[in-house]
Order: sequence, then C-alpha cells, then structure tokens
Amino acid sequence: MKRNYILILFAVLAIAQIAVPAQMIFGREHILKTGTAYKFNTEPIDPSDPFKGKYIVLRYQVDRFKTSNKAWQREQDIYISIANDSLGFAKVISADLEAPETGDYVKAKVDWYTERDSTLHFSLPFNEFYMNETKAYSAELAHRKASRDSLPNNTYALVYVKNGEAVLDNVFINAIPIATFVEE
Amino acid sequence: MNSKLINELSDLVTNKVITQDTASRIEQYVLSKQQHKPNKLFTVFGVLGSLLIGLGVILILAHNWDNFTRSIKTVFAFLPLVIGQIFVAFSVWKKKSSVWKESSGTFLFFAIGSSIALVSQIYNIPGNLSTYILTWIVLSLPLIYILKSNTVALLNMIAITYYACEVGYSFSSFSESPWLYLVLMTLILPHYYSLLKNHTNANITSVFNWLFPLSVTIVLGTFVSQLSELGFLMYLLLFSLYYNMGKLPFFNEQKLRRNGYLVQGSLGIVIMVLTMSFDDFWYLERFFFNAQETYVSAILCAANVGLLIYSYSKGWLKTFNLFQYLFILFSILYVFGLNIPIVGTIVVNLMVLALGITTIKIGADKFHFGILNYGLLIITALVTCRFFDTNMSFVIRGLLFVSVGIGFFLTNYILLKKQKSKVESLKH
Repeated sequence: MKRNYILILFAVLAIAQIAVPAQMIFGREHILKTGTAYKFNTEPIDPSDPFKGKYIVLRYQVDRFKTSNKAWQREQDIYISIANDSLGFAKVISADLEAPETGDYVKAKVDWYTERDSTLHFSLPFNEFYMNETKAYSAELAHRKASRDSLPNNTYALVYVKNGEAVLDNVFINAIPIATFVEE
Repeated sequence: MNSKLINELSDLVTNKVITQDTASRIEQYVLSKQQHKPNKLFTVFGVLGSLLIGLGVILILAHNWDNFTRSIKTVFAFLPLVIGQIFVAFSVWKKKSSVWKESSGTFLFFAIGSSIALVSQIYNIPGNLSTYILTWIVLSLPLIYILKSNTVALLNMIAITYYACEVGYSFSSFSESPWLYLVLMTLILPHYYSLLKNHTNANITSVFNWLFPLSVTIVLGTFVSQLSELGFLMYLLLFSLYYNMGKLPFFNEQKLRRNGYLVQGSLGIVIMVLTMSFDDFWYLERFFFNAQETYVSAILCAANVGLLIYSYSKGWLKTFNLFQYLFILFSILYVFGLNIPIVGTIVVNLMVLALGITTIKIGADKFHFGILNYGLLIITALVTCRFFDTNMSFVIRGLLFVSVGIGFFLTNYILLKKQKSKVESLKH
C-alpha cells in the first residue's frame, strides 16, 4: 500500500519533470508558428555556459531610444514597441513601463539613462544564440570579417515576437544562417 | 575492516589472548552481520557510475548537434529524463535495494538538469543561472524522500549552496540575500534528521555532519549586505553555535573526525578571533541596530544561549570550556567596544591566549596529542600575528617565540611521561 502511494507521488513528480521542459518548448513553438518575425541588426561575441554549451552573445543595434521621460531605474522591466523600418529591420517606436495594448512589443531591461542627449539605453533579453561548440568561435570571426564589409545590415537575428514574448530563431550573415555560413 | 578483524583472530589465538572457541564465535558473528548489509562498495560504484554518465550526458548535449533538426534535438532532451524516470519507477515498484535507488536517483538528478539545459539551448532561452538551478532543485528535491536517497540529498545540498552563492555573491551590484536557501535547506532537514536518528554511526551521516555546516558557513556571508563589520560577529556566533552543537553528548561521544560541527566550530572560532586580534580591526564606526545583519546576529546569539541553557538543564555542562561561552563576551564587545579600539584589541588578544591554554588543557586531560598541539598552534598563530603588527622590540618578540617553542617541547614531553606512567599503572 505504502509503495503505491510512493509510486503515485513519483508519477506526479515525473510528470512535473517532463512538464517543465515541455512547457518551455510549447510556449516557444507557439511563438515561432504564430508570432511576427523581426530582423534585429546585431554583432556577436562568444562565451560558454557549463550546462548549455557554447553560445554567441548578441549585441543589438536596437539598444537605445530618445525620450524626454527621465523616470527610469536600472534593471527595471520595460516594454519596447517595435515595427519594421523601410529596409525590413526592427526599429523602436516607444518605450513604456506598461505593456502597450496594440502592436508588437518586447520586454527589455533598463541599462541607464543619459540626460545629456535624453537617451534611454536598454538590453533586449534574447541575446544568447547557442551554437555547435566548434562553430561558435568561427562564427565570431566570420562576423567580425563580415562587419568590416561596407554593406550595411549584413548580420541580423531573426526573432519571432508575440504578446511581449520573443524567441530568437536564427542569426544570419549576408542572408545565410550563421551555422551554414561558418561551414562554407 | 571486518576481514581485518578476522585476520587478527588467528594471531590472538596463537598468543593465547582468546580461545579458539571465542575466535570462531567472533568470526561467525562478523560474517552474519556482513550478510545482512547490502554491499556498500556496490552502492558507491553504482552512484559513481551514474554520476559520471549523468555529467557525461550533459556535456555531450552541450556540444550542440546542429545537424539534427529541432524536433530530433527535442527528443534527445527528453530521452535521458524518461530513461531515468523508468529506472526510478522500476526501483520503487520492485522494491529494489538501495544500490538501485541511489544509482537511478543520481542519474535522474542529472537528466533533469540536462533536459532543461538542452531545451534552453534549442530555443536560445537566455540563461539566468540561478533560475535554472532553482528549477532543477525544485524538480529533483522530492526524489530524496521518494527514494530515501542520500546521494540525491547531497547533490541537492550542493545545488542549493551553488544557487545561494549565485544569488548572493553575484559580482553585479544587484546581489541579494538568498532567503529561499533557508527554505530549501529546511526541506532537506527531515532526511538528515532521520539519518542522525536511525544511522547515527553510518559513514554517510558523517558526510552530512561535515557538509551541512560547511554549506551554511559558505552561504552565511550572503546575508551580509552593508554592515560588513557585523559579518565577523555573525560568523563568530555561527561557529560558536557549531561548537556548542558539537559538544552535545550526541555528537561529542562520536569520534572527532565524524563530528564536523565541533571541528568546524573550533577552527572557525580561532580563525575569527585571530582576525579580530589585529589592531586595525577595531576602528569601526558604523553600527546600526535596525539592519538585516543585526537581526541575523540576534537570532544566532539567541540560538547559542538557548542551546547552552538546554545543555545546562540536562546537566551536560560539567566542566568550564571557554570556547562555549566566548560568544557572550564578543557580543558585548561588539555592542560597546567598537569605538574603543584599544579595549577590543587587548581583550581579544587575551582571549586568543586563553583559548590556546584551554585547548592545551583539554588535550592534556584527554591524553590527546592532536588537541594539545592544536592549542599550542593557536598560541603560535597569535604570536606570529603580533610579530607583524606591533612595535614590540625584537628581543621581546624573539623571547616570545623561544618560550612558545620550549612550550611545545615541555607540554608534549610531560604528556608523554604521564601517559607512560598511566600505562605502567594499568599493567600492575
């Protein structure tokens, strides 16, 4: 009898153990399928995580917004409304403390505010792109080379956005996925 | 260890210390005892195997196999998890031995971590290490009680400590006190308590006796936010609490190497007191009563007093041991002596000297050379510290060293002689 209770308890735990990663997957899959795709101009560098492997950190060119509002605190959660510009890249429309009711937006964190040029600096959360361990460093080199080309907007991240949540799908150099680009 | 005893038996019989009859009875007893115990070595290797495989799986998945599609990678994220779960369910269902339970639990522990990590990798979920570890702990902690697994308990304790350090000792300016650490550790306590109660003399219990206080020692510093001055008092109170716990008959009657509380408490107290014996230490200005550190210190102090009163009421405090009462003096010094550096310095130096002498006396009473020399080392450390920071003349410093050196010889010699005469008197 006691064994059955333990087994039921374990079944509940096992379901939870599966549910947590599964829920992480479903949420992301949903955004990838139904969210809007945005391209964010970016520049990568390469560190590594003991559990998740090698990744490149993306520094987005979308990282500031001119605003007269001065009431920002470091590390504060803010909502950045975005839209595509004429070249098809994401640009900031507004930055707010509340989630906007219409249009696409992403959650970000306040870095700092400079009063001199009344600019708000922030960090976008989807800044880690996980790569094969042999490719992460070459990706960084390839990017550095690509960014020396005079072509503008040649490296960007493809991000799907829905209801403030964002999933980083891939990173491109000259319109080729970065993993494929490194292989060539 | 038992086979060693059996090997000794024939020697004892030939020298006529015991009879052949007694020898065979001892042998039978030892062998029958061995049959009832599951093979310890088997458990150790089982656990080590799963530990290595689990860690290996995490590393292999971290390689990031980018030739596979997202869905195949997702399957790989769940594969180790489900395999681990099947093994655990099997061990519970078939009521397998602890070897099975410990090994399958260990493997499942790592499988949980690897599956969350792999999903984060596949979907580029930016990592906050502390949240990741917290999820891991929450999903694996119940396994301790489902499997009654010591290894899972230890792994969880390590993970919880790691989590607390990640939250509390972060190098950014946004580190905060990991209050959740207290909750999580409390969740492990019932398991530890049952070990202490039912397996008092097991090796795994002494591992807990060492790691549990060590974890608290590591994490206590995260509760110091602004008043780093009070941090020293907090640590002194904590070590004093360990010492007093180690002096409870339950722990004190065990071997010293199994009593992590006493050893860590004693070493901790000596190190803290030596640190405070420096002249500069007592030039402290800030002291607020209304701060997190003050509350933590107050709780630790109350716990010390409570434990002492309890021990007294049980009649356990037969001899005066300075280590047990030192915290009272230091709490008073902290509250009143902070602005009078000279008082603090002198009192603390005298205290260290007194601690050294107390230890030497304990060592001499117990005929324990290790403790005796530990006491002498305390005094040596004190003299060495003063060597650097006082303006004493070289002659006096030199004489101090010479006298401590002579002390080493004399005390060891006297103890050795005493011990010999004791052995002689036992013979006659």
